[in-house]
Amino acid sequence: MSGIGLKRAQALLMADRPQEALRELATLSAEEAMHPGAFYLRAAAFSQLDQHAETVTAARQGLEAGGPDPDLFQLIGDAERQQGHLEAAEQALLSGLSLAPNHLGLLCSYAAACMAANQLGKAAKLVERAAAQAPTAAAVYAIRIQLAYTRGEDRKAQEIAREFVAEYPESAAAHALLGGTSANRGQVREADAGARQAVAADPTVGDYAELALETRIARHPLMTPVRPFIRFGPIKTWIAAIAIIYGLRMLKMPMLAGVFAIGWFLLCVYSWVVPPLVRRWMKRRYRAF
Amino acid sequence: MTDELFTPTIKDAKVPTRPPWNPDSIIYPAFFGGPLAGSVLGFLNGRKLLLSRSHLLLIAGTGTVAFAARAALTATVLPSYARSIVAAIAGVVVWLVVAALQRKAFRAAIQNGRDAVSLVGPGIAASIGFGVLEFAFIYGVLL
Repeated sequence: MSGIGLKRAQALLMADRPQEALRELATLSAEEAMHPGAFYLRAAAFSQLDQHAETVTAARQGLEAGGPDPDLFQLIGDAERQQGHLEAAEQALLSGLSLAPNHLGLLCSYAAACMAANQLGKAAKLVERAAAQAPTAAAVYAIRIQLAYTRGEDRKAQEIAREFVAEYPESAAAHALLGGTSANRGQVREADAGARQAVAADPTVGDYAELALETRIARHPLMTPVRPFIRFGPIKTWIAAIAIIYGLRMLKMPMLAGVFAIGWFLLCVYSWVVPPLVRRWMKRRYRAF
Repeated sequence: MTDELFTPTIKDAKVPTRPPWNPDSIIYPAFFGGPLAGSVLGFLNGRKLLLSRSHLLLIAGTGTVAFAARAALTATVLPSYARSIVAAIAGVVVWLVVAALQRKAFRAAIQNGRDAVSLVGPGIAASIGFGVLEFAFIYGVLL
C-alpha cells in the first residue's frame, strides 16, 4: 500500500476507528483515491460501521478499479448477507473462491451465508475445510461457534468459545463470544464477565456494549426469580414444578400443593411481565448518558 | 472448478423475508392462553420461517389434539383443582413441538440481517383471545 494517507487510513481502521479512517480517505489526492487499496479501505470502514449498502458500492468500485480481488468479494458477500440478499452474497463469495479456493475468510463467509439460508450441512463442510487449513485461526473459532449456535448446540458453542479465549486471551471477540454463548445457557455471571472483558478489550465496538447491557440486565436483582427458567430451560423447570405439585398431592398435602401451584403461576406471570420492563428501564437509564 | 462445495445452492433457496418471533417466547402465550394460542402463534411463526408443509401441519395438528385432550379431560375425569394446570400443560406440550421444529430455522433466519420482533403484543392478544375461546367452549358447550 503506497502513500502516507492510505497508510494512515489503514492504521485508523486497524484501531477500530472507521469514522476517522473514512475522513482520512476523503482527503486523499485524486491519484491516491483511485488506488484499489483506497476502495478496499473505504469498503472495510463501511463494513465496520455496519453500513452494508455503502460497503457493497465501495467494494464494487474497487473491483472496477483494480480487477477481481478475493478480499473485496468477501466484503461484498458479508454485506449482502447482512442485508438479507443471500443470492447476491453467494454469487460474490463464489467469485472470490474461484480466484482463491483456499481463502480462509471466504470459506468462513460462505459458510455463514449457507447458515443464513438454513443449509447447515453444506455450512458444516465449509467450516471443516476452513478448520483443516488453520485450526487455530480466530475466524475459524468464530465460525465454529456460529455453526454450533445455529444447530442449537449451545453447550458445544460455549466449549468452543472457551477454547477461543484460551488461545486468544487478549481478543475482544473471543470474550464477547464466550459471554454470548454463556448467556444462551443462562449462566448470567459468566455471560456478564465475558461481555465486560470484551468491552474492556475493545470499547469501540457497539455490539459488545449492547451485549454487556443485556448481560447486566440479566444480573439485575429483579431478574433473580426468573433465573431458574433461563438457567435450566423451561422444560426442566416445568417438569420439576409439576412433579412437586402432584408429589405434594400424593403425599396428602393438598394445601401445600395449592400454595405451591399458586406461587408457581405467579412466578410464570412475573417471568413474562417483569423482564421486558427491567430491560426497558435499564436501557432508558443508560441511553440517557 | 470441479469442487462440488463451490456450486451455488443458495440461489434456489427460499429465505424468510418477514421478521420472525423467537419461538422460545411462544411458551408464555401457550402457558397462559392454552394450546390453541400456542399453536396459532406457532403456525404463523412457522409460515414466517418458511417451514415445510408437513411441519406446519404437525404444529396445527398438535394444537388441535392438545385442545381436544384438554377439553375431554376437563369435561370428564378431572377434579376441578387440576383443570387449569391441564390447560397450561397442554399449551406447553404444543410449545415443545413448536420450539423443536423452529429453533434451527429461527437461528438461521436472524443471521441474514433480520432481528426477531417482539411477541409481547400479539402474545397477550392471543392469550386472552384463545384463552377465552377455549374456556367458553369447554364451560359453555361441554359442561
